[in-house]
Amino acid sequence: MKYMVMECHPSYAILLDKEGRFLIAANLRYEVGQEVTNPVLMKKPSSSGFRLKRVLISSAAAIAACLLLLFGMNYYESYMAPYSSIFLTINPEVRMDLNRNGSVVGLAGTNDDGETLIEGYEWKGKDKVTIADELVDRAIEMGFLSEGGRVSFSIDTPDEAIFQEYGVELRSKVTEHLDGRITVEIEIFDYSNSSESSKEEQPEKVSSSPSSLPEKSSAVTSDKTSSQIVSSYSGGKGESDFKPTAGSISDHTPSSSKPSGSNTDYSDSDYGENSSMASSQPPASSKPVSDNTNYNDGNTNYNQENQNENETDDTDYSSEEQEDQESDYEEKESDEDE
Amino acid sequence: MNEEQLIIQQVYKAKENMQKADELINDYMPFIKAETAKFLRRPPIEGHDDELSIAMIAFHEAICGYARNRGAFLKYASMLIRSRLIDYARKEMRHSGAISLENGSEKEGTSLSDTLADQKNHSEETDTREATKAEIQELRKQMEGFGVSLTDVAENCPKQKRTLDACRKALQYAKETPDILEELLRTKRLPISKLVQGGADRKTLERHRKYMVALLLVFTNGYELIRGHLKQVMKGVATK
Repeated sequence: MKYMVMECHPSYAILLDKEGRFLIAANLRYEVGQEVTNPVLMKKPSSSGFRLKRVLISSAAAIAACLLLLFGMNYYESYMAPYSSIFLTINPEVRMDLNRNGSVVGLAGTNDDGETLIEGYEWKGKDKVTIADELVDRAIEMGFLSEGGRVSFSIDTPDEAIFQEYGVELRSKVTEHLDGRITVEIEIFDYSNSSESSKEEQPEKVSSSPSSLPEKSSAVTSDKTSSQIVSSYSGGKGESDFKPTAGSISDHTPSSSKPSGSNTDYSDSDYGENSSMASSQPPASSKPVSDNTNYNDGNTNYNQENQNENETDDTDYSSEEQEDQESDYEEKESDEDE
Repeated sequence: MNEEQLIIQQVYKAKENMQKADELINDYMPFIKAETAKFLRRPPIEGHDDELSIAMIAFHEAICGYARNRGAFLKYASMLIRSRLIDYARKEMRHSGAISLENGSEKEGTSLSDTLADQKNHSEETDTREATKAEIQELRKQMEGFGVSLTDVAENCPKQKRTLDACRKALQYAKETPDILEELLRTKRLPISKLVQGGADRKTLERHRKYMVALLLVFTNGYELIRGHLKQVMKGVATK
């Protein structure tokens, strides 16, 4: 492109290009009126105001993105991420995933029959109780569930309050739903407990709270007892019966976290025979204790805790046990000393 | 410290006024020469080395682009001068393979340019140059009546293609309605409200008021040579 030199200054020249632009360029010994090619044009650096604006805009965008991510995470946490699960077991087993708010975010069959049961079932936007009711209906339709059958809800949740809430709700609503049609047993389990009772104890849990082990075994027994009691109630008597049932739920749940609390609950609960049953099963509770000698090494509190428990339960039994354990303990210590 | 403050104040004044910038460059000529000498590894000769002119235009750029938060002005200017000189050297590298016409050939005393046949008519060229010079002089005088200098126009010139097109469109409209040009000459003011009727954006025209004045003046009377140079301006509009 050809440029016409319009004006010459000592430090710069003004050129006019063919498109009508007036430009400032280096004055490479130009003369006014000359036509030149390949001038060195002045580049105008972007003004600082524009830069500042750009920086502001980009930082605002970055902050917005961060906030979006944060709230997105929050939203995901409270609405999308499964927080607790309910395992509905008849023979088909189905898992319901619930978020923090108690809405159902996922439904999956955990065995073949379970998959058959939920095949073609539209669960989205429905309440967990509605889903449970409808699944039980489907199970009846498909012939999985008949008169005198058993429906168990195994609730897996990190929060005890939620466990109780869901347990009570499911039991009452499903019983109400089935009332007058067929009679089935309805059981509520804490998933973590039931899995522990069926599977081997996880080593981490054992190491963290060795003292709770004997309680776990008793919790298992209480599970059994509660389900037995439940079976007597669940024949569709009346709604007033559900109160003590809820109590039975609270009975065995704290066992994993609050060992001493469970004992007091036992004595407080209405079931006189229940506590007697628990106390009348020393062989069951003694079995894990005898296994337990391994855990003595690191924990001196063990004896004390045991003492507490034994005081409430059975003094004779406890003294025996305690002596055994103490002697074990001493032996261990002497071993270690050597 | 005080001296540093003084420079910054001068630079900020020079930002608004090209004349002041020119003065500042005059004051700092030794600095610019020193920077060029660093690059060339020899003292530059005024009026001979293109590098010196480029260093000066780089100093202009430094004045325009400087902000307080960019540190000391002279360091910034030195950096800008160096990078512009490097840019220029790279651009010139493309021609490094070519032989200069000024260089002597095998025979001593005669340069290559002397052996080539003269293609252009030198006297004619100088004539047209003189004529153009006179025309530009005339235009400058007329623009002074409007309070506009060519430097102002250069600073006010649209940079974006779209803006340039908008200005051309307004020019085209003005050419079709001679009233506008007449009014411009009579009142020495840009009749923006009339120009807007041509379809161009009012704000765009207001922002490039000085440029529009220069462009319209070029297309009033005379200025045949400048108009000849600007043939492309009208071509671009006519094809649309």
